[in-house]
Amino acid sequence: MDYRETKNIDYGFRLKGDPVLLYKDQSLVADELTHQTEKVLRQLSMEYYVLDRCLQCGICSNSCPNALLKTENAFTPRTFIEKTRLGLLDLNSDELWLCTHCGNCQIVCPFDIPLLDVMAQLRHLVVEKGAGHIPASIKHSISSIASCGNPWKEDAVDRKKWLCAAGLPQADGYDEKAVCVFLGCLAGYDRRARQTAEAAMRILRAVGIPFKILADEEVCCGDTVRRIGDFSTAEKVEELNRKNILKNNVETMYVLSPHCFSAFKNFRNPEATKNVRVELLIDLIYRLFTRGAFHFTAKIEKKVTFHDPCFFSKHLDVVHQPREILRGIPGIKILEMKHHGKKSLCCGGGGGGIWRDAGKGERLAEIRMDEAMETGAQTVVTSCPYCLSMLEDARRGDEKYQNMDIVDLFELIGEGIRHENH
Amino acid sequence: MTEKNPCMWKKPAPVMNKKMMKSKVLIIGGGVTGLVAAVSLDELGIDSIIVEKEPELGGKVKKYSRVFPDFRSGKTIVRDLIAKIQKSSRVRAVVSTSVTSAERVNGWYVVTDSNDTQYKVKAIILACGFDVFDARCQDEYGYGVYPNVVNSLELEALLEAQDLQGSLLLRPSDGKPANKIALIFCVGSRSRRLGNPYCSRICCSYSTKQAIEIIEKNPDASVTCFYMDIRTYDRGFEEMYQYAQELGVKYVRGRVSECSAMSNGDIQVRAENTLLGKPVQGIYDIVSLSVGMMPCADAADLAGMLGIERSEDGFFTRKDKFFSPHDTVKEGIFIAGSLTGLKPIKDCLLEGNSVSSRVAAYFSRYKS
Repeated sequence: MDYRETKNIDYGFRLKGDPVLLYKDQSLVADELTHQTEKVLRQLSMEYYVLDRCLQCGICSNSCPNALLKTENAFTPRTFIEKTRLGLLDLNSDELWLCTHCGNCQIVCPFDIPLLDVMAQLRHLVVEKGAGHIPASIKHSISSIASCGNPWKEDAVDRKKWLCAAGLPQADGYDEKAVCVFLGCLAGYDRRARQTAEAAMRILRAVGIPFKILADEEVCCGDTVRRIGDFSTAEKVEELNRKNILKNNVETMYVLSPHCFSAFKNFRNPEATKNVRVELLIDLIYRLFTRGAFHFTAKIEKKVTFHDPCFFSKHLDVVHQPREILRGIPGIKILEMKHHGKKSLCCGGGGGGIWRDAGKGERLAEIRMDEAMETGAQTVVTSCPYCLSMLEDARRGDEKYQNMDIVDLFELIGEGIRHENH
Repeated sequence: MTEKNPCMWKKPAPVMNKKMMKSKVLIIGGGVTGLVAAVSLDELGIDSIIVEKEPELGGKVKKYSRVFPDFRSGKTIVRDLIAKIQKSSRVRAVVSTSVTSAERVNGWYVVTDSNDTQYKVKAIILACGFDVFDARCQDEYGYGVYPNVVNSLELEALLEAQDLQGSLLLRPSDGKPANKIALIFCVGSRSRRLGNPYCSRICCSYSTKQAIEIIEKNPDASVTCFYMDIRTYDRGFEEMYQYAQELGVKYVRGRVSECSAMSNGDIQVRAENTLLGKPVQGIYDIVSLSVGMMPCADAADLAGMLGIERSEDGFFTRKDKFFSPHDTVKEGIFIAGSLTGLKPIKDCLLEGNSVSSRVAAYFSRYKS
């Protein structure tokens, strides 16, 4: 029998010119995987001293939102590093997928250990090299993004239909210097998040800013995929978006979701799109607000609390802007949660958490909702489609949250402006 | 009170403008290192002038109630040194002044201070010591916000008051006796984020000393130390740590992540016990932050003025770590004490002695 016909048999070594697809059958290629895993760990710990410089002080343990969950095996960044360092980390375990990339640990760490990079590297081993088990829902989302450009295998026509129905202008490639808005997947397909997008666009219209939406060929930004460890898919979608941006002659691009902004800020090929100015939509609206481009005349009598999206408060340093806008709305009273601003807790949606199936009692958003209830506010305001979706999920999951309202900042602003127009 | 306090002693008050003082050596810094250097220079027959920016001589040591490892009083050390200086005719001291400029003229250093006094000297000894870390920079502990979160120097003052009045340790917010005390180690040291990646070396020992003092005075008190690693590195220090454990001082391995105040002024502390892998929290009357140390705030100015190099973390670099530990790149300028790295008090005294013999050797070579 010619051995080349039987590719599935493991010979204990890699045959020249006959690459074994590692993820096909894990048991056969264990040696190769061990080697690869070890290589990544060695790189992490030896070359960059990432793991070795951890003092095991444990300051991160209480800042991690996962440590506040009352589950049996609480995840803490410290134990994670300890296990990784000693080679005791089980790549098949759920532990690898609990991190939501909120960045709390990186803020408090006295030795600046880039734990988010470590997490992404280890997930990369699992996702692309097949070194462990990927939760089914995450696997499904990754393959949807790779094939359809969004995490739910939705049809892009669906989004076009919605844009037409909502009367939102789409970029067509004929403008010379286009001002565009990048919605992101949630705001493009999710029914609840679409309301956010509509409200945001209503504000832009009311102020008189000409804009178009990059609907045609817009795919996932790739941020979450990269944080999950699928670097090749991330690069693929980034390239597609880059082409789309160049094709539409975009001069300024406003990004709705902080996650998408993080993708464009951190991973964008700087040479190809250096003439494109990328800005957060909330920054634009804040600037318009401070310059007096719109005013709130109508009163909205509400006690609200602001949930800081992690990518705003911890990754991009956007803390005071949303609060100042909220304070500008007459009748609004802001009550702060126990953890707010830079120290806020995560909703559980980042780093692939939004695609993970978490049971009741394991959801980080529940901790957040409990804190919001404690303030006595009726409304939780947030400014990120991920947070909106996660908090809505948590609210739906429990009776006690039924009286809480979850709205997006843009929806509140839009409400105020609509009152004015009447 | 002031007459009895030896630290308030002043020698010739600088009153005249553009006064010129001539001597052999100028000692910048009147802490224990500078005082010892002056005393042993006096024994070698060399004149010196001490310049101190505070209104009292004695630096930080005069504020310490006890000094490890043998629990003698910090005040006594300073008082003895000052008494020796007072007896000597070769040492002069100027207080409440700081150096503003220095230049080298014909083999002399001409140094001007903030009172416009000029000092003409042959050599300069830098002994301006350290400053403690400003715990407000690590805002999760609420130092400066909650009155019952104090730093170790303030705890030392509370212990001193306890010593003098014979009372229990009283907490700052309402003067109630404090029975539960938490000591948080490594605040502002071993942290790259805060710019102090080095170990401050003596915090473990002085905190252990404070814990022992609290328990010895009040056996009902409970002291909990939150540490990362215990680095009681010297003879006597480790034994002190063992003794503290015998006394019942509790050690919890884990860096505190948060302090929050309760309505009655108590402080809630949250940390992880990293040996058990479990979160812990406790409520304490006083939380003391064992702050790390940095080179003194004037170090940058002085280094620029005198043209001496500093390393990245701000400490002064020696000409050669091994063979000329007191020399700098500039001829005639010597360094001693915690300016080159943090040291316990006995090592500072040792450096004060050795720098003076180095200066004497420098002068004998200079003559020939």
